[in-house]
Amino acid sequence: MDVRALTQGGVRRALVLAATLIAGALAVFFAMKAAPGDPALTALGENARPDLVAAFRHAHHLDLPVSAQFALWIGGAARGDFGQSLTLAGGVPVASLIATRLPVTAFIGAYALVLAVALSLVIGTVSALQRGRLADTIGTSFAVLGVSMPDFWLGYVLIFFLALNFPVFPSYGFVSPTASLRGALLSGFLPALAIAAPMAAVFARTLRAALLEVLHREYVTVARSLGFGPRFVFFHYVMRNALIPYVTVLGLQVRYLLGGVVVIERIFGIPGMGSLMVDGAFGRDYPVVQACALTFLAIVLLTNLLVDALCARLDPRRAA
Amino acid sequence: MDTQQGQRGPTRREVFRAGTAIAASSLLPPPALAAADATIRAGITGYDVVNTLDPAYAALIPEYYLIWAVYNALLKFNADMQPVPDLAESFKVAENGGLEFKLRQGVKFHDGSTMTSDDVKFSFERLLDDKAPSPNKSKVSAISAIDTPDPLTVRLQTKEPFAPLLTFLANARTGTQVVPRKVVQADPTGFGRKPCGTGAYMLKTWNPNQALRFAAHTEYFVPGLPTIGTVDVPLIAEETSGVTALLGHQVDLTSTAPFADVPELAKRQDIKVLRQAGLNTRFISLNNRKPPFDDVHFRRAVSLAFDRNVLIRVVLFGEGVATSGLIPPSLKASYDPTPKPLTIYNAQRAKEELAKSKYQAGTAATMLTWGAGWWKRIAEVIAAQVNQTLGTQFTVEVNEANTVFSRLKSGDYQCSVWGWLGMIDPDEYSYDILHSQGWRNFAYYSNPKLDELLVAARRELDAAKRGQMYRESEALWIQDMPILPCFCSNVHNLLARNVSGFTQLPYSNFGDQFATLTLSG
Repeated sequence: MDVRALTQGGVRRALVLAATLIAGALAVFFAMKAAPGDPALTALGENARPDLVAAFRHAHHLDLPVSAQFALWIGGAARGDFGQSLTLAGGVPVASLIATRLPVTAFIGAYALVLAVALSLVIGTVSALQRGRLADTIGTSFAVLGVSMPDFWLGYVLIFFLALNFPVFPSYGFVSPTASLRGALLSGFLPALAIAAPMAAVFARTLRAALLEVLHREYVTVARSLGFGPRFVFFHYVMRNALIPYVTVLGLQVRYLLGGVVVIERIFGIPGMGSLMVDGAFGRDYPVVQACALTFLAIVLLTNLLVDALCARLDPRRAA
Repeated sequence: MDTQQGQRGPTRREVFRAGTAIAASSLLPPPALAAADATIRAGITGYDVVNTLDPAYAALIPEYYLIWAVYNALLKFNADMQPVPDLAESFKVAENGGLEFKLRQGVKFHDGSTMTSDDVKFSFERLLDDKAPSPNKSKVSAISAIDTPDPLTVRLQTKEPFAPLLTFLANARTGTQVVPRKVVQADPTGFGRKPCGTGAYMLKTWNPNQALRFAAHTEYFVPGLPTIGTVDVPLIAEETSGVTALLGHQVDLTSTAPFADVPELAKRQDIKVLRQAGLNTRFISLNNRKPPFDDVHFRRAVSLAFDRNVLIRVVLFGEGVATSGLIPPSLKASYDPTPKPLTIYNAQRAKEELAKSKYQAGTAATMLTWGAGWWKRIAEVIAAQVNQTLGTQFTVEVNEANTVFSRLKSGDYQCSVWGWLGMIDPDEYSYDILHSQGWRNFAYYSNPKLDELLVAARRELDAAKRGQMYRESEALWIQDMPILPCFCSNVHNLLARNVSGFTQLPYSNFGDQFATLTLSG
């Protein structure tokens, strides 16, 4: 492989990544400014005196022109300083808020992803191999159900059955994995499942379709006729090729995972990035919302990179 | 898991024995919890923002929920909403409206220092200080001089008698809670995050937007209180999640409940639902300067054209009462229970009033409201009813809350759904909203006779006479219908079955009850 071409590719990718981040930051910033509302009134109450409001706006540079505000913010963000929270936690650095919230969301997100992958691998494979039989019908029905159920509704259904009627899991709250891993796995299960179910459905359908397509390829027939065992053929010829579209869809779905996190965290009272962002939006806490959105954007971009790398590993032709 | 490797698992017999032991123990009376070691989880529901625990700068309800646990004021409300001594041992009202308080002896702040009259003086002067303006200044602005002849006496002078002052010195949504001069002066800006009061509980930890933890103040001035050692306060943004948290035993008490769920929750045996008509008032603010609400007959026609009980059913799920004035029923001394025909649905009379008005059927008007909670729903239900009765073309405009508020303040609206909650004096429900100088008079209503009556009521120190004046005032303005009174909604608390000692007050109290809570079982 040409090392120079590879570095050039890397540099190009890094530049595209940075440009996307800046464009995203711009979009987020101006969307927040365009939305009505005033953090001063949120922080000081509806009967705040005008001079207090003016002082608040001045202290937080809200009286500067929008372009100057953006320059201030992006300059700080580049140095990892996202400013101070205006209304949510008056005066607390946003970076420290994110530092405490991000690991929680990462845990729930990873938990959901693991559940979704595990569920979809089983359902997708069984459906494909048992095509047209009962197992396939059940698997496909599950997939349709999963896609059609909104995650917040599923969240409440899960609470109703698995926390209130059969108290297996806590109905509310979250135990940090650093405090108790068992507590975290238990309290994170329902929210993770609520986020995972719709994703698992999409993954399972993708995998089933991909497997069915590969199963009827000539090279699979050839491999079989060469006398390889069914298990060997399945893992080395069928699964490996079917995984490429699967992994691509998986990467794309990370966006929805982040969307799900925003809603589900609020329902289950999980102190993560999603609830932070929602609260920030309601409280017109511009620095918090902007920092959260930028973090989410960075996660999506990094996931895309990761998926590309994974696909290249699975399919060496792509690496070129 | 504690099971060591290589250890044999329990036999069937052992499992059976353990099972019967558990079953037997559940039949025994529950052991009393050692209260000092006990933790109660009191969830603040529907809110998750607490900016400050400094009473001088608090503005949000959840902030007060906790301030009431950390501090005391000179007075507090009893179950009948009468101000009774708290940090004060007794008080006297002079004929000129001056107040004299004798303070309790030996009251300790959380830092161990003793509370004196100087701390009281400092707490009020702080609210009046223009260098660090407090949103609660208006509560004490009637005070003209504060004297502290000795460490246990505080005398307040006013320029003229001001009856609401007594109410404003209670531990409610007032900001007049007593803070220690030394601690505040050492770090005035940090005090909101490191509060220090005389209250039953002191702040231990604070995770912004997640939870706060409070520990019992062992030197609290009421002997034997507080009963519970630790209070955890999770901030639960979704009211519905508060319900699932309570039903799933993740919290023991909530600060509110979703209206839609209350009727079902009240039927359950495993929880307790406390409810009563709250201290709040919901009304339609009409811009009396702008067409079509510049015509008294049109205003009356609209008031007669909708059924307030439909709002109670559809918006509140039965959790409230229709009102025909601004003063809520729980302010018993000032509330006027007489039904007012102009606020009772009557399609015939509504049309008669419309005929007398300079506007006709087909008149359009925009009801301004915002998206959160029930506000939009109220506007929609009223607009639909009025349009049906009068043939008008009322529409609903939803905007962002702060925008709505600034448009009300600048008079840039026709009519708007509005309301206030948590206020404790009739003056706040009448003078502020309908006096020509009232700061919330967004109706731009001006009636010299009413102005005179409301000023006289402010100066009247006799509670009974004062109450009578407010009743008269309500009968007076309702003829002009400057605003449309709608309803007063219930306040709720949900308690786990084993929680007792919570006395609900109509202003939606919370933290002030932590001290007396007990857990059984």
